[in-house]
Amino acid sequence: MLAGVLACPAIAHAAPPLSLGITPVFLDSDLLLLRDLEAELSRRAGSRVQLVRKRTYRDITDALLAGQVTAAWICGYPFVRHRDRLALVAVPLWRGRPLYQSYLIARADLPAATLADLRGRSHAFSDPDSNSGWLVTAHALARAGTTPRNFFARSFFTYGHRNVVRAVDAGLADSGSVDGYVWEVLAETEPHLVERTRVLARSAWLGFPPVACLAADADSQGVRRLRDALVGLPADAHGRALLSQLRLDGFTDAPPALFDPIGRLAAEVVA
Amino acid sequence: MNWARPYRWPLAVRVPLLVAALLVAVSVVVSQVVLSRLAAEQQRRVAGLADAYLDGVSAALHAALVRRDVWEAFDVVDRARSSFQALPLVAAAALLPDGTVLAATDPRRLPVGSRYADADRVADDAPLAPLQEPRAIVARAVHDGGVFIGRVVIELDLSAELAARQRAGTALFLLNAMLTLLFATLGWWLVRRMLAPVRLLSAHLAASGERPSPLPDAAIGRVGGEFKNLFARFNAMARAVEEREALAARLAEEERLAVLGRLASGVAHEVNNPLGGMLTAVDTLASHGADPAVRAQSVGFLRRGLSDIRNVVRASLVLYKAAPTGADATPEALDDLRHLAGPEARRRRVRLTWNNRLDAPVQADTTLLRQIALNLLLNAIAASPPEAEVRVTIETVPGLLLVRIADQGPGLPADVAAMLDRADAQPPAGRTGLGLWTALSVAHRLGGRIRRLPAATGTTLELEVPLARRPLAHAA
Repeated sequence: MLAGVLACPAIAHAAPPLSLGITPVFLDSDLLLLRDLEAELSRRAGSRVQLVRKRTYRDITDALLAGQVTAAWICGYPFVRHRDRLALVAVPLWRGRPLYQSYLIARADLPAATLADLRGRSHAFSDPDSNSGWLVTAHALARAGTTPRNFFARSFFTYGHRNVVRAVDAGLADSGSVDGYVWEVLAETEPHLVERTRVLARSAWLGFPPVACLAADADSQGVRRLRDALVGLPADAHGRALLSQLRLDGFTDAPPALFDPIGRLAAEVVA
Repeated sequence: MNWARPYRWPLAVRVPLLVAALLVAVSVVVSQVVLSRLAAEQQRRVAGLADAYLDGVSAALHAALVRRDVWEAFDVVDRARSSFQALPLVAAAALLPDGTVLAATDPRRLPVGSRYADADRVADDAPLAPLQEPRAIVARAVHDGGVFIGRVVIELDLSAELAARQRAGTALFLLNAMLTLLFATLGWWLVRRMLAPVRLLSAHLAASGERPSPLPDAAIGRVGGEFKNLFARFNAMARAVEEREALAARLAEEERLAVLGRLASGVAHEVNNPLGGMLTAVDTLASHGADPAVRAQSVGFLRRGLSDIRNVVRASLVLYKAAPTGADATPEALDDLRHLAGPEARRRRVRLTWNNRLDAPVQADTTLLRQIALNLLLNAIAASPPEAEVRVTIETVPGLLLVRIADQGPGLPADVAAMLDRADAQPPAGRTGLGLWTALSVAHRLGGRIRRLPAATGTTLELEVPLARRPLAHAA
């Protein structure tokens, strides 16, 4: 997927423009939603905020680490892998908590009840740098003494949680690893897409994919304005409407320790 | 109507059938053209869409085929399907060079890694075949730097196109059938309408019998165009025939009266001759009646004289009865002709040689027979020069009565002789030949004929009348 910069309504601001990287963990299929988010953040930050889309987590993480974007909405897994260089800007609140789950889904007609029943099947992962779309399942298999390559007959990455659901729905894969938040929102907004899938297993509650910045920029004015814009979204009707479209309750400050469980999963898989 | 011979069917049947046949032929040709054009248009449209789809998808799949990226390949073919909704796509698949499926729009039917069932049937870059089967497969090879890296295969469901053609064919058939029926009915009605004057004329002729009569003016008023002229000419012809027949009848009557006049003259002469002697005998009786010998001689003279007069008068009375009597002809009745024609022959100093070979009555109408024979005999006498001979021979052969009359005249004029050869001879324009025409007409009524026999000099005519036959029913 090509990187792109979304068009933004011309806003004359004195402050320098900000950029926020977006990854497929987000519902990036809805361009109108992204345009609204960009406009709302720009209004609140007092300067233009550009949303920068990348195809993979690695792409957006690399852009963040290279200082090409002010902040990026990344996954908890890259955050813990680069924890020494990154800092949290804000963490989304879903159903009142900064937490979410990874779902193991399968075709509705597949005679399987647990992960073990998926042996020899095909499996769709979201992204090799995704917690819910890779790490959780890889961790479960590691604990069972195997790896995705050995356990599944075939596995592939779709580079998008929505794509994982599409792949399982179409029968391209028998099962998939997907962000539980994304699956739940799709079940509400695009029920036809999930009706031929079912959830086999849900992971423990883990830190919701955060908005992060370079640790060196954590106290910069740009990062502060962006954090204020995100945290302040529930303060007025515009912000609440936007959050409603995102099916989120808001953004909050959270300690990096929120992602320690993910760090432990990663450590066990690597081991 | 003879149904086994169509060329003898009435026009009112043949023309609508011809129209129907032509319409069927035209509709078959038109339907074929329309359906083949429709098929060509469908093929062009589907082939165009398939080409556009394959062009776009094969380019988009290039990277996925190189990397063998299942998801990317699926994403491309799946998204493209929604972009080509006009294409009747059943499935699209990205195949690896070995024919296995990298990804397909319907992974449940075409699972990743399975061998594409129709891989051997797929011909890369072959044009779309004519749309005959409900399913078609089109493929496009994908190369990278000249290396074959895979192909895109699409399966098309053409049942809608075939059904559309079927519907079009059915609609054409129904429309053509309706048009054929309509035009055949219209043709039948029009031809019947156009031929109505012909039917009218035919019915009129059938009702008129042998003698055509003019059509009523009301009938002429109802038709137009050529038929108006035709009816007018027909009426003119019918009136001419009527006038001609009336003229002929009048001429025949005049001829009869002329013959009668000549006969009356002869009869008067015949009666007058003995009258002088008879008056003398009466005077002798008055003066010398007392003498038995004189009385007997005078009475005998008177008896013979009166007997001659009686013979002449009786023959005249019998001859000119208007209608046939149906009585058989006796030898004596025919001999009467000699008495009737005798005075005219003597007046013209013509010798009459009489040879009646009949010895018994024959079954032929005596009145009509004597009319004919007398006519011919008087004609022969009239045509003969003085001192010439007219020979009459009457005889029978099996089934026929023959009356032969030979004269030594100059022969028959050509136009009069021509009447003998025609059964439907028209009356002559002038008086010449009228007697012969009258004799011919009566001979025909008797079922007989008059023919000319070869003769060294003069004319020999032979009346031939069939025996044991009654005269025809109708009167002249």
